Formats: sequence, C-alpha cells, structure tokens
Amino acid sequence: MSEESKRRLSRRKFVALTGGALAASSLLAACGDPTTAPTTTTASSATTSATKVATTATSTGFNSGFKVTSDPITLSIWADDTGMAPWYQKVTAEYTKLHPNVKFDVQAFAVRDFETKIAAAIPSDTAADIMQSGAFRKYVEAGLLPKNPDSVTKMVADPTIFPKELTDTLVFNNNYYGMPFYQGRHAIYYNKDYFAAAGLSTPPATMDDLTTYAQKLVKVDGGNMTVSGLSLRLAGAGSGIAEKFMMYLYPNGGNILEKTSEGKYHNGYNNDAGVKTLKMYIDMLYKNKTDDPKIKHDTEAFQLGATAMYARESNVVGDTANKKPDLKYSTAPMPKGVRWGDLSSPIGLIVSRSTKNTDTAWDFIMFSQQEQYLNLLLTDIGWIPQRQDYAFTEALKLRPQLAAFTFKDPNYKLFTAPAIGSFDEIETKLADRLSKAYLDSSLLNNDAGIKKVLEDAAKETDDILKKANLYG
Amino acid sequence: MARSFSSRKEGPAHLGGSTLQRQKLLFVFVGLTPILLIYGVVRIWPIIRTFSLSLFDSDLVKPEAKFVGFQNYTDLLSDDSFKTAFINTSLFALGTVVASLTLGLALALILTQFIRRSGIYQLVYFLPFVMPIVPVAIVWRWIYDPSYGLLNLFLSWFGIPKQAFLLYPETGLWAIVAMNVWKVVGYNMVILIVGIRNIPLLYSEAAAIDGAGRFGVLRYITVPLLKPVILFVLVVTTIGAYNVFTSVYVMTQSTTASGNDIKILVGEIVLNGFRYSKMGYASSEAVILFVVVMLLTLIQFRFVRSDT
Repeated sequence: MSEESKRRLSRRKFVALTGGALAASSLLAACGDPTTAPTTTTASSATTSATKVATTATSTGFNSGFKVTSDPITLSIWADDTGMAPWYQKVTAEYTKLHPNVKFDVQAFAVRDFETKIAAAIPSDTAADIMQSGAFRKYVEAGLLPKNPDSVTKMVADPTIFPKELTDTLVFNNNYYGMPFYQGRHAIYYNKDYFAAAGLSTPPATMDDLTTYAQKLVKVDGGNMTVSGLSLRLAGAGSGIAEKFMMYLYPNGGNILEKTSEGKYHNGYNNDAGVKTLKMYIDMLYKNKTDDPKIKHDTEAFQLGATAMYARESNVVGDTANKKPDLKYSTAPMPKGVRWGDLSSPIGLIVSRSTKNTDTAWDFIMFSQQEQYLNLLLTDIGWIPQRQDYAFTEALKLRPQLAAFTFKDPNYKLFTAPAIGSFDEIETKLADRLSKAYLDSSLLNNDAGIKKVLEDAAKETDDILKKANLYG
Repeated sequence: MARSFSSRKEGPAHLGGSTLQRQKLLFVFVGLTPILLIYGVVRIWPIIRTFSLSLFDSDLVKPEAKFVGFQNYTDLLSDDSFKTAFINTSLFALGTVVASLTLGLALALILTQFIRRSGIYQLVYFLPFVMPIVPVAIVWRWIYDPSYGLLNLFLSWFGIPKQAFLLYPETGLWAIVAMNVWKVVGYNMVILIVGIRNIPLLYSEAAAIDGAGRFGVLRYITVPLLKPVILFVLVVTTIGAYNVFTSVYVMTQSTTASGNDIKILVGEIVLNGFRYSKMGYASSEAVILFVVVMLLTLIQFRFVRSDT
C-alpha cells in the first residue's frame, strides 16, 4: 500500500471515527435531559386505550356552546409538565374524532423551561393557542392575556364546581383569567414494609410524629445511611425547596408571606414558626441524622426504597404506578401542628390573545374538563382535578393512595401561595438561602445562627415586596 | 496594469483610474451591504439595545420603562447573588483557562515531539469538543453522582468515603471546571499543534547547534513563536468560559439536576430577565459581563502580543 493510499485510509478512518462519535453523541442527546427536550406529540400518534372514553364522550353529545371552526386548523398546546404529554395525547385524539378538521400540536415542557419560553412568547404574541401553567399572574397583571368569555366565567365562579380558595387566584380587576384544571396537593408518602419492620402501624399524624417516626425508620449500614427516615427537599433548582419548607412551616404557624388587612404582604417566617421549622431540618440532618444530603432524595429515593417517607404532590402516584407498580406504599394527609392544612398549587388552562381560533380553543378546554378525562388525569398521571362536583370514584378505587390528596376535614385547611407576580422571585430567593443553610452544620444548636439566616432572608423578601409596592 | 500606470500621468486617464477605483469600492460596498446589515441587526443592534436597556427599569411583560440612569448598576453592587455569580464565573474562567491551556500545550508538545503517529491520540483528545454539551453534562452528572457515580466508585478503592461533588458549591464549581477542561482541552491542543508545526525547523536546529537543549528550545524558540496562537487560545477560552451556562444549568439548575444551584453570570441574566422579567436589571448584568470580557481580552492582547 502506498503512502498516499495509507493517508487516504487514515482520513477515511478519521471520518468514520468522527462520524461514529457524533452519532453516539446524538444518541446520547436523544435520550438526554427532559429539561432541554420538550415532549412533543400529535393527535395522530395517540394510542387507542381511551376508546371507551371517546365513545362515552361522543354519545353524551358534548356541547360547550362555543362555535367550532369548520376550517382545517392545528391548535397548539404548551404544558408546563412533561408528564402531561400522554394525557393530552389521548384527549386531543378524542377531540379530533369529534372534529376531524382540528389537529393538535402538543408540547410539554419542564416547568422552568416553560416559564422561560412563555416569558418571551406571550409578550411577542408567539405563544401557543392554549397554555397550561400556574404562572400566568404577571402576564394577566400586564394585560397580556385575555379575560375569560362570560360562559366560562360563570362556570369558574361557581363554588359548587370549583373551590373558591383556588378560583380566587384567577381573579384580577374583578375578571377571571383561565380555566381551573388541576392542583398540586401534598401528602406524606410512606413505605409500608419499612413501617411494618419498625413496628409502626399508623402513618404520622402530627409534626412530632414525623420526627420520632423518622428516627425509627432510618437505616444505617457501616456508618453510611442507606435509608433515610424522612427525605427532605434539600437541593435542586428553583422554588421547590422553599415550597416544601412552607409545607412544614404552615403547621408550625408560619407562612412565606402573611397578608395584611390592607391587602399588602410581609414575610411570615422570620418568627418562632420559622425558627422551629428550620431547626427541625437542621436537627434531622445533623442531630437525629434521619436524612443526609449525600444520599438519594425525593421521588427517585422513595421508588428505589432509599427513603421511608417524604412529602410530595399526587403525581407521584401515577408515576409510581408506571415505574414501580409493586412498591408497597400508602399516603397520609399532611401532619398536624398548631394548625393543620395543605398547600394547593393550582394549575390552569388559558387561551392566548394571539390565537386565531379562540372559540375552538375554549371548546377544547371545556371538552377536556369532562369527568371521564379528569378520571383519566387521576389514574394515568395522578394530578388532582380542581373540579369538586365530580366524585372520581373509579379513579380513587383504582389508586387508593390518592385518597390522602382529596381528604376533607373541617379543620384541614387548603391554603395557596399569594396571587402576586413577584411571589416566584421571593420563593426562589428564599429557596437559595435555605439550601445553603441546610448544608451548614454549624447551625446545629445555634439558634442565633438560625435566626440570622431567617432575618437576612426576610429582609430580602420584604425588599422585593417594597419594590413591587406590595409591602405592608 | 498599463492603463493604471498611464492614468497616473495623464489627466483624463487619471480620472478614469479613479472611476475604476470608485467602481471597485462601490462593488465592495454593494457586496458587503447585505452582510453588514444582517450583522448590524443581529449583532450590533442588540448590544446597543442592551446598553440602552440597562439604564431603564424595564420589565419584559410591561411596555412602559422608566429611566433610572445607573441605578441598576448601583443595585448590582449590593446584590449578593450577582456578586457570588461574578466570583464563581471568574473562578470558573480562571480554572478553565489555566488548566486547558497548560494541558493543551503539554499535550501538543508531547504529540508533536515525542509521538510519531499521533493522529489517533489527537482524535481521542479532540472528540469531547465535538460532542453536544447537554449529553456530556448529563454523563458527567452521573459520573459525579454520590450514590452510584463512577468517580465515587473509583475513590472507594482507596477508602475515600462517598462525596456529593455537585451538592456543595465549593466542590461543585470545580467539578464543572474539570468537565469543561476535559471538553475544551482537545480543541486547544489541536490549535497549538498547528502553531507548533508552523514554526520552521530552521530555528530549533539553529538553537540546537548553538547548544540549546530541549527546554532551551522550548523556552527561547517554541513558546515565543507560539505567542500569537497562545493569545488566540487564551482569548477564545476566556470568552467561552465567561459565557458558561448550559453545563452548569444541566448539572445543577435544571428540574432534574441533582446538585445545588451554582450561580454564574449568564444564569443570573437568564433568571432576572426571563423568570423575574427584570430586563433592565438583566441588561446591566450583561453589560458588566461584556465589559469584563472586553477588558480581559485587551489585557491578554497587551501582555501576550507577539513581539516578532
């Protein structure tokens, strides 16, 4: 072989090797982070598992009162949860059976990517026809989203259909914006096998139970924690850390923001309740050692058996049914303290002002809120619909763990985050400070240190409120 | 050519030459105009607009913007998040530039002077550079995982307990620097190899005859003649490092991230601009980033510029 042909061969090898590497990296990209790759689906690719539902829908003769276009159109839908793609796939397919001229382009994003996307898309009128999120407030306040049609408002304002605590978050200047869809409700998930092994026959009912149970449930092997007693949200991006802190802060008597009688706000955690809650975290990490920042956390840990209990939203039920159907677990309402209740994070559907098919978009939204599709939402995905005029009997029978999320008691209060545009910034910045505090072992038996953390965070919270002219 | 010569001597022909020059200039101008327009619209105008926005209390979702002068810049001075992000980004850039340049130069020298058929090695070192950053960051996130990560498995062979590299900001930043160095070192190496191969052998042979050893040749011949290439590598790596975002986001800030949020400048700009809608404030951060990178580039030009 000549030198030239050898060189040619080596070039070919180079191209082959580089091509192989690029192909491999593309493959990796394809199975990569869902935060950067939205789940896209179209009605044509829908599965047939919802056929029964469709027959019911068609036979019931659905009529929302909106005039559906007869032109061939494609409605775009953006959702702020990648897990919602299968539900949209089924419901849009059923709608297309009723209206073959209406196709759908559904994109489900991770929540942070969704928020970034709409931040540019809504002001520039390039948003989807229909959007699903709980973060529309600032766009509503800026006049960038249209108010509901009268017929929708009538339905949304009916307290027998939707809880008033939740629909109040949709009101701005006496108008309603968006259709209430589902809510992020919380409960304590617990592993029944671990509870039985620890001799615990009932779930934790109080905040004190939570601490004592965690100590009985934690497992340590050779100095390394293998199972945490209670998995706390210690790290990760965004406001979730503060939201989970708020769930334990509430029964201790505090909140992230307190509303004044004049309709203004100030921080609600730079007080005894805040100290007690942060102290609980620090004690669990460094005194009782029922959790460790270095081990797996959250849903992954629960499904892998790396934690005995944790607090989370209801969609874990749907996720666990798919990923870990043999996991023996149950759920319990959030524990009692000086008060008792659960945070509800309402998610709504809204039609953008840039859509050319407003009536058809609203018709689809009304279509999607029928009982059979909300049952599907419960069983397949696990989110709790905001509608309270349906019993959801079938879904609750199929997924008994959902009962703790729909639990009702006169003393079990439903509370929501304040409906103000700057709350996300407040929560995210508090989360940032809390995540640093959780890693600071010097806060153990250091009330002054804990108070300083809360004091600094509270100043930042109040400064944001002052800038937004909401402090009082 | 003849026409051009004569044109300089004779009046009318001279005028004709000027016409030709003018025609050439017109052609160049007409040819470049569309490109310049596109460049101006997508590159220059956004920079000017960013400078302008930084002087306003501008909200992404509200049309009215109030002129606040340098208020956004003074607010930055008391913003802990911005200060942390600035320090983190500077440390990230410093770590990346020093490590990737040193390693890149060492690899380039080894491959050009000690290994005869170095193509396969060059390919291996260069491959990370062509891989997309998102899957790379995910793979490195797995490597650093405290429960089943490869790095912790490796460390366990030496009795070192499990480390949550991405959880603590002190280790998380340097863990991402290590990943970034792994990714860019191959690119720097290839550029430096090209530079080394362009140095005529004559110089090193002459130096060898004069009694210079390998280190002498490296110190007095190779490195001085490589200065323009080193400058290029320095500038490109510094700019790239200051603009870091995707790797930090995927490894520590995204919804599925396992680490703790490590603040960086571009991340702060995105957060303030697109999450909190504070476009004026985010623009002032962008201007600071622009000025810092510009200053660093000028300093590098001043100190690393070739005297040859």
